[in-house]
Amino acid sequence: MHRSSLTSQHLLSIFLSLAAAALLLLVLPCSLAAQKTALHLDGTPADPFLAASGKPVVLIFLRTDCPISNRYAPLLQQISSRYGAKVALWLVYPSRTSSAEKIRQHEHDYGYKLPALRDPQHALVTQAQVQVTPEAAVFDANHRLLYHGRIDDLYQDSGRARPAATTHELDDAIRAALSGKTPPPNAPGVGCYIADLE
Amino acid sequence: MTSSGRTIVACLLGFSSATAAAFATHDGATERPSMPAAQQASFNRDIAPILFRYCAPCHRPGEAGPFPLLTYADAKARARQIAALTSKRFMPPWLPEPQELRFADELRLSDEQITLIQKWVEQGAVEGAPADLPPAPQFVPGWQLGRPDEIIEAEKPYTLPASGSDMYWNFIFRTPVDRTRWLKAIEIRPGDKRVVHHANILVDRNQSARRQEAESRAGFPGMELKIESENFDPDSHFLFWKPGTVPKPEPESMSLRLDKDTDLVLNIHLQPSGKPEKIQPNLGLYFTDKPATHFPLLLQMENDKKLDIPAGEKRFLVTDEFTLPVDVDLLAIYPHAHYLGKDLQALATLPDGSAKTLIHIPQWNLNWQAVYHYADPVPLPKGTTISMRYVYDNSSQNLANPNDPPRRVAAGNRSSDEMAHLWLQVLPRTSSNADFDPRMLLQESMARHNLEKNPADFEAHYNLAAMLQARGAQAEAIQNFELALRLRPQDATANNALGAALLAAGRISEAMPYLNAALRAQPDNFDAHYNLASALVSQDKFLEAIEHYRAAVRLHPDDANAEANLGSALAETGQLSEAKLHFRRALRIDPNHKLARENLEQINSDPKNLQQ
Repeated sequence: MHRSSLTSQHLLSIFLSLAAAALLLLVLPCSLAAQKTALHLDGTPADPFLAASGKPVVLIFLRTDCPISNRYAPLLQQISSRYGAKVALWLVYPSRTSSAEKIRQHEHDYGYKLPALRDPQHALVTQAQVQVTPEAAVFDANHRLLYHGRIDDLYQDSGRARPAATTHELDDAIRAALSGKTPPPNAPGVGCYIADLE
Repeated sequence: MTSSGRTIVACLLGFSSATAAAFATHDGATERPSMPAAQQASFNRDIAPILFRYCAPCHRPGEAGPFPLLTYADAKARARQIAALTSKRFMPPWLPEPQELRFADELRLSDEQITLIQKWVEQGAVEGAPADLPPAPQFVPGWQLGRPDEIIEAEKPYTLPASGSDMYWNFIFRTPVDRTRWLKAIEIRPGDKRVVHHANILVDRNQSARRQEAESRAGFPGMELKIESENFDPDSHFLFWKPGTVPKPEPESMSLRLDKDTDLVLNIHLQPSGKPEKIQPNLGLYFTDKPATHFPLLLQMENDKKLDIPAGEKRFLVTDEFTLPVDVDLLAIYPHAHYLGKDLQALATLPDGSAKTLIHIPQWNLNWQAVYHYADPVPLPKGTTISMRYVYDNSSQNLANPNDPPRRVAAGNRSSDEMAHLWLQVLPRTSSNADFDPRMLLQESMARHNLEKNPADFEAHYNLAAMLQARGAQAEAIQNFELALRLRPQDATANNALGAALLAAGRISEAMPYLNAALRAQPDNFDAHYNLASALVSQDKFLEAIEHYRAAVRLHPDDANAEANLGSALAETGQLSEAKLHFRRALRIDPNHKLARENLEQINSDPKNLQQ
């Protein structure tokens, strides 16, 4: 008797803690969504995953005044053309102070023809686990984070650029997201710290 | 490892290495930052003075820095970036190691300053008390030396593509002077400073670079330039721009000569920014009435011939040594290698056996190459040996390696080739023997030194011959011009020079074939037409001479000697009215031209010529 009563108590307590965890999981995303969200340039809340409808989502984190991310503009435009409508690709500007107008001007100057989001509360920064601009995050069709990090290995360090990249992580990760193959390992980007924007 | 963990580790590493460096310089003693340990670092008191002095000259609107660093808000929005880049000594960019011989405008942070920045960021990058903020730095807007006497703009802009590897472009500026002027400064405004990494002016007294333009006046690509000079007219001044440069006027005694028809070739290094950039540089010329009385010289040490670096080689050593034949003051130094250069060093060993490091760059980075001026002239007596010691890394660990996978690299002008050059600006000490130019002895020694390294060095033979010719050693000069020509039989300049040397030695019939060869190689060679015409005159072949003088005058319409000699040759054949025309033209160019004046007077005074 002793034994079984103990057992049932034990089971009960485990069950309770699981329930509590499930409850927390349910609550957290809701409260996050209520507090932190990315924004369209017109100021309305943006959810790039909602709009993607079963497509892989690619987020590219940029800063208007980061020379390293700016240097990637032609390549990013090329990658976007390569995959076209097969992926939902967004430029994400995590700066709190960059206005929509400044971002539009930046897109115009660098020849971007890609949709852009502002992420002043770093909702997408957190979700994508990115640290610097430029870094990319690639989510598969189920919005699972497959890859986050550098676009390629052009830069090894600030001021230490190769003549041309020898690895192409972003491109590989997008292909992995489309084909279900293994994505490349996450590799840290080189550029401007997003944490400086907090 | 997760990304967030990674950043923390990176920050800690950056901090601890900087701290270790601070400890090391204090020989194990307790670290002493410039403030009490307990006190919090603040922007206003601790960081602003550093940023204002070391960063703001470039990090302000319109300058090379990609963002301003002038206010607390600017610094706060870059705090970790600043801490990381200063701890790696990537910023501010300053390549040389500290040494006994100091450079002017050193841009190197002390270990204590770096530690202080780390501490400020660690402690939350606080602003501090407003009273602690030093006055904002004052910068001169626009031209740094005031309104130039003359501004010249590149005739056609160059558009840098949005992407791709680094680009080197050359703009040719036609100088606006109509007579010889003296410059105390040239200020370079290279265009968009965010894409221009450095710029360098070469003085082209023979308009030789124009031949490299595919389309006239459009400029031309290329990292390295060869400027031809037919006279003893060595380069004397570094005319160099890098981000943050504030031009300094030359000392009054060392003004730079600028002749009519001299071209200034601006070689600029550009890095694509992500969008197309239109580059149209301006040069500001500042004149002085004071002609130069002191003549510095740019000495070039090199050993390109030894540059044959196997693929994968991590430490490939190239050296050169040159012993000074005269006393000099060393004013500035410019080490130059391309992307494989790793450790660049120059050393001076004085006659008393003592050694001085002239420069040591342990982590060469072509992007930040610069001319380094010494804070004080460095006296180097005759007999001092200057050693250049460059190490190259042609492995794949060298990120700048232009080849992937690495391949064998030899010397060359393309950025994917290599170079081992060390330029020294020296001012020879003036001796009591005033009619002898010590620069010529330096050039002659340098040419002989280069021939020891490479007996097949065309330029060394040519330069040696030119020096010998200038000091009257005709036989040896002719011999060296011949050796130069054996190496490049078709070279127009060398053929003309040998022809001229033979003419000067009175060996006219021997000179003719070389002058003709010069014209076959380059039909518009003014000197060859002029010299050949002179040779023909001395053989009384006036009609042929007239044709070559006419060609010379067409090529250089402002040359009084060519006009006067054409007049004389015409007069010899009795074509007096046309002769007078050319004498008058010579006198218009140079009212004191003796030959033209005398000949014209003679024609006019002869009653037989009255009807002409």
